[in-house]
Amino acid sequence: MPVLDFLFSENYKKKKVVLLGSGALSIGQAGEFDYSGSQAVKALEEEGFEVIIINPNIASVQTNKGVNRKVYLYPVVPFWVEKIIKIEKPIAIIPSFGGQTSLNCVIELEKNNILKKYNVKVLGTQVDSLEISEDRDLFVQKMRSIDAPVAQSYTVSTVKDALLAAKKIGYPVITRSAFTLGGLGSCLAKTASELKKFIQTAFTTSPQILIEKSLHGWKEIEYEVMRDIAGNTITICNMENFDPMGIHTGDSIVVAPCQTINNIENNMLRDMAIKIAQNMHIVGECNVQYALNPKNYDFYVIEINARLSRSSALASKATGYPIAYIAAKIVVGFNLLELKNPVTGTTSAFYEPSLDYVTLKVPRWDLNKFNGVSKYLGPQMKSVGEVMAIGRNFCEVIQKALRMVNENEDGITLNVFTSASDENLEKELLLPTNLRVFAIYEAFRRGKTLKYVHERTKVDCWFLSHILYIANIEIDLFDLFKLEKSKKSVTSCELYDAYRQVSRDHLHCLKSQGFSDFQLTKIYLLACLNSKIKLNAKEIHKLSFGVRNLRKKLGILPVVKQIDTTSSEYPTKSNYLYLTYDGIHSDISTKKNKKSIITLGSGSYRIGSSLEFDWCSVMTSSYFKNKKNDSVIINCNPETVSTDYSVSDRLYFEELSFERVLDIIDIENSKGVIACMGGQNPNNLIQQLSESKVNILGHSKESVESAEDREKFSVMLDELGIDQPEWTSAVSILDVEKFVKKIGFPVLIRPSFVLSGTLMNVANNQQSLNYYLSLIKNISTDFPIVISKFILGAKEIECDGVACDGEVIISLVIEHIENAGVHSGDATMVFPPQKIYTHTVNVIKDIVRKIVKGLDLNGPFNMQFIAKDNDVKVIECNARASRSFPFISKISGINFAKIACKVMNNEKVKKILIDESEIPYVGVKASMFSFQRLDGADPVVGVEMASTGEVGCLGKNFDHSMLLAMEATQIKKPKKGVLLSTGREKDKIKFMEVVDNLYKLKVPIYATKGSARYLEKRGYKVNTVHWNRNPRAVDIIAKGNVDFVININKNLSVDELNNNSNIRKIAVKYGCSILTNLEKVMAYLRAYDSYDELQSIENCISL
Amino acid sequence: MMRDGNIFNRKYKKAYLKLSNGMSFEGNAVGADVSVSGEMVFNTGMLGYSEAMTDPSYLGQILVFSFCLIGNYGVPVFKNKNFLISKGHESSSIKTQGIIVSNIYSSCYHHNGKISLEEWMKNQEVPGISGIDTRYLVQVIRDCKNLWGRICSDGAKMQNKNKFEFLKNFKYNEYIDPSKYNLMPSVSIKKRITLGRGSKKIAVVDCGVKWNIIRMLVERNCEVELLPWDIDFSKIKCDGWVISNGPGDPRNTGDLVKRIKEYILNSDKPVLGICLGHQLLSLASGAETKRLNHGHRSHNQPVFSLPEKIAYMSSQNHRYAVEKKSIQPEWELWFENANDNSVEGLKHRTKPFISVQFHPEASSGPNDTSWIMDKFVALL
Repeated sequence: MPVLDFLFSENYKKKKVVLLGSGALSIGQAGEFDYSGSQAVKALEEEGFEVIIINPNIASVQTNKGVNRKVYLYPVVPFWVEKIIKIEKPIAIIPSFGGQTSLNCVIELEKNNILKKYNVKVLGTQVDSLEISEDRDLFVQKMRSIDAPVAQSYTVSTVKDALLAAKKIGYPVITRSAFTLGGLGSCLAKTASELKKFIQTAFTTSPQILIEKSLHGWKEIEYEVMRDIAGNTITICNMENFDPMGIHTGDSIVVAPCQTINNIENNMLRDMAIKIAQNMHIVGECNVQYALNPKNYDFYVIEINARLSRSSALASKATGYPIAYIAAKIVVGFNLLELKNPVTGTTSAFYEPSLDYVTLKVPRWDLNKFNGVSKYLGPQMKSVGEVMAIGRNFCEVIQKALRMVNENEDGITLNVFTSASDENLEKELLLPTNLRVFAIYEAFRRGKTLKYVHERTKVDCWFLSHILYIANIEIDLFDLFKLEKSKKSVTSCELYDAYRQVSRDHLHCLKSQGFSDFQLTKIYLLACLNSKIKLNAKEIHKLSFGVRNLRKKLGILPVVKQIDTTSSEYPTKSNYLYLTYDGIHSDISTKKNKKSIITLGSGSYRIGSSLEFDWCSVMTSSYFKNKKNDSVIINCNPETVSTDYSVSDRLYFEELSFERVLDIIDIENSKGVIACMGGQNPNNLIQQLSESKVNILGHSKESVESAEDREKFSVMLDELGIDQPEWTSAVSILDVEKFVKKIGFPVLIRPSFVLSGTLMNVANNQQSLNYYLSLIKNISTDFPIVISKFILGAKEIECDGVACDGEVIISLVIEHIENAGVHSGDATMVFPPQKIYTHTVNVIKDIVRKIVKGLDLNGPFNMQFIAKDNDVKVIECNARASRSFPFISKISGINFAKIACKVMNNEKVKKILIDESEIPYVGVKASMFSFQRLDGADPVVGVEMASTGEVGCLGKNFDHSMLLAMEATQIKKPKKGVLLSTGREKDKIKFMEVVDNLYKLKVPIYATKGSARYLEKRGYKVNTVHWNRNPRAVDIIAKGNVDFVININKNLSVDELNNNSNIRKIAVKYGCSILTNLEKVMAYLRAYDSYDELQSIENCISL
Repeated sequence: MMRDGNIFNRKYKKAYLKLSNGMSFEGNAVGADVSVSGEMVFNTGMLGYSEAMTDPSYLGQILVFSFCLIGNYGVPVFKNKNFLISKGHESSSIKTQGIIVSNIYSSCYHHNGKISLEEWMKNQEVPGISGIDTRYLVQVIRDCKNLWGRICSDGAKMQNKNKFEFLKNFKYNEYIDPSKYNLMPSVSIKKRITLGRGSKKIAVVDCGVKWNIIRMLVERNCEVELLPWDIDFSKIKCDGWVISNGPGDPRNTGDLVKRIKEYILNSDKPVLGICLGHQLLSLASGAETKRLNHGHRSHNQPVFSLPEKIAYMSSQNHRYAVEKKSIQPEWELWFENANDNSVEGLKHRTKPFISVQFHPEASSGPNDTSWIMDKFVALL
């Protein structure tokens, strides 16, 4: 038996091990840990362990119930982990599958001797090694001791020392001020005089300056290393950043395997990675990051992660080698030679995958979702998700990846900078933002040289030359089609003929360089169509069938290739697939049996569509896999469980674009497509796919359309006699004004075609209305905006359910803590509802029945309501699975996704009636915000969604679960002090209901003037602070006198928001817990009644 | 990627790969416009094309790179006067007959590259085809026991028969199996030379030696005498022997095996056999060799050390292997392939003879077994 002796000493079966998760998704620690965590669970269960999972991330696949696992939805902090250890008496704990959160927690448990106390062993890499990877000084020491080069840096406090240090290091150097965040006071000095000049001013703001060797422009390269307890060591994959050193690797475009280094460099870095893993006694997986000089063979070790990471998830998807799964086996004592490569099933797991394709990761930023955030990229990660493209050349993958991440069919030819001046374009090249790759493209389109772009971006010429090549193709194609006199209209037949002029070989070349039919159509239109005529995406799609038909006629079709880890050296039955035009032979043959069911995944994680939709996709594809239905999934997000090839019968790691989905449908000859489980992204394809005669399972196209089209939906509600907030669809400013005159302020403004409330705002007065309208830019018949009455002080309620042929199968009501006005994706939710009258619930369920009938729904749905004084109004209905499906499924014990699958599979389903009052516990779902990661972002919560993740916690009553959920989303009990500003008079009165709980915490209370006066009048001791005179509110925070900020806006007007914005930003910067919503504050402070009781509980509730 | 006129008016010269099983692949002619014939082999390493192409073990073969992007870093600078530091080159010229790739990069921006892969191939009269679905081609080769191919295009020159000794046997437009011939005269040096300086002297039998073997010995402070394959071993004075890697069937090497047995194995001096050298040494010891289905040509062959109970990643390039059941009793199995359990290394039970099927000198590929060189030098 290979396994560690103590694990299996007396009683082989059912040894308990604790596996820590990573908690809520946040920037820098996202869905990748659901992938690694769920792989670990699978690997451990296979070995007969009982796995105790501690992770409050309720939407993860990892926290699904299972036969040999117990799930605790508790914060991953030493206090709760200790409690659970006490209850479960596990034999060991595994730290390396839950990101930084889990690592930190185990390090702390070890330091405090908790693990020793309960005789719990740490499996995998031991704590002393983990500490070396976390502590900069220990790391540098260790690296030096094994002759691994690390960049020198010195902390200095005089100009003289600074110059001395710089001399030792060698110019250019980078300076960093020690006490500022986000790169303030950072400068690149090429000479001593430059350094001197800068540093003199720098010392006026910061007493200490860090002088570091500048690695700006160096290549950034990573290796994923796997090592077992016997010492067998391999590297799974190497990866290279398109963006050179200076941009966080999470924000970089990354190619795997490395493309611009030679064999000598590769093996030099690989040797060092193996040496480091061996000397750090890694057991499991680790990742080593390097900076490599592009001009010679110099390199430095930047950092190591002695755990599974975002990169390891990416490497697993890039190579097909399931790193986390194998690492979990290693952690319990197997060595690599005892394990098989799961992709081939026959060859050894001691194997370095060989690729015969190239992969490219592109991050997804949602910077426009955050108020005031800087768009420049740097050492601080800002992206919220990523995609990965697989292809057989670089042009193909960059075009594919950019289509995937931007959810369009444009690739790199998306004309972002067409109207930018040359100066602005140059600035964009020099100071990278999330759009730099498009700026590079535009520069080439304008005839700039490789040298010009390379000098400004430092991006390797190998990458740049491919982008230049694409630009040249576009220019040449444009020239080929250019007409003397532009056309007034274009038909798809003309497109067919136009591309017939291009030879078959050239057309094939265009496709293999990653051009979509849509792009080719657009280039033709640009060359021929009168520039005054603007066609929308739908019209261009229709035209693009001209290209598609021509291609099909000429036999220019994508081929399917397997990812098999061996580059075909051994035959495999791998079901991990991608499509490419750079090839002539498909590894799998076209299906003829009309058996497969295709689930469309959710694409990149982003604000508004995250883990929860991957959970739904995974539930769907595994359901059909278990039903022996030939389950196929399409997705392009490497962080997900749905792109683990074991959850479906065939995984197409591909674009979720109309063209590509149709290609796959052609190949699969599928029985049907499921588009309602992956969130809005696949849902948007339903209309087009139906029009192309694709069988969409679940809701009909008409149902989806009637639910999504405000006009149709509203008419239906009127017919059914269901109330809704007054609204209008405005095509001009005049329309808006007319409507506002009629119903008065406040009003909710919502542009058309929005996801998660982009540019959605509440206007309280004319001034803010004008401001918000100005943000929307385009209001016209093509782009109408919806204005509706905004009801103040109303409760928001949701209902999740599944319908079958217009009948409700199951529906459950979820209560929001916050009043209407907070985006449902950001709101705190509770189930079963605590404060809704039974009557209201009945009214809602009745409305749900009517709407389901009216829309003839047939599948999963979600509806949102507002209720005030027993008055219920419908806000919207989504004819698809919702964000709260995993939450409601896990708390109620009924898997909504599974029921939806049954309906879509035409199985017989009975109505499920559930008595919510019999659920023995309460679940609270709370949102996680990543403001601390986003320099300059205002952490205020409103109608536009801003959270990056969520947790769901269980307690025996509401107070318990509320406290747990808040702790799990980094709202921590104040220890130093609390800063209050409690909003309007009305809010101040309400706040008095819970103020005693605040004072019971026995920490100093600070308040802004109005709030302070209010409290003092009622006999409370309070320290007054001011906006702009001493003592200033911001100083109190900066000095660390408070660690908790309650900041309620008077209203949602622009002025009010801006006033408070400074306090909130500073609070975020200094790591304070911050609450900005009155109802949430009230619920939280009230819950402190049960704080002591919760802390002393002896039985934690598990799923 | 300079622009010269509209891409859509440009025509590329077509080239064809014709295979002995009747299949034909069409692609673009790259490198020299020469028609060649050879044995079809593939390598799944993702980097190290210049090392592979100059590796004499590939003599007579048309090499298919399974990785889709070849030529990215151009060709490492070749410092003619000092081949010891011309890393990236394993011999003085390209030894493959031709190469087949999916995409070839036509420029070079690497700091250690002066010319592009295509330019280099043109200079050395080596043809290639790009635009081939190499994944598919690899599968075809994998599933055929023996496959030979021809690179041809309209108006291409015939290969110069003086380029390598063995070409003299070839008829144009024929599929030729190089393993039918003794390839030693084509790859071995003609006159003995001495390289490096040190207290220990190693005689390297050049069966098509990769320069990195010599580099590593010199780096370990050894004097290396490189010997022609057909020299009289009895006259050689040295502290140890290395029998190098090389091309072809180990049984098709004239009287080399016999002479190894008589002079080298009988001398009781330390011996290291690498790749073909390992096979020759094994034959000399009385073991048998066999032809593998498609051989091992990659950077990721796992080899398991039986005495240490640990495995290493190794670089390999061979078609023939030692038959496990033929290993003589005085020899023990040292390494085994973790994928197919084939013999990867042998050790004499009493004498200082060691031999490995894989390449401890790597280049290209992982350096994980470079310690074998240390071990050998320590035996001297």
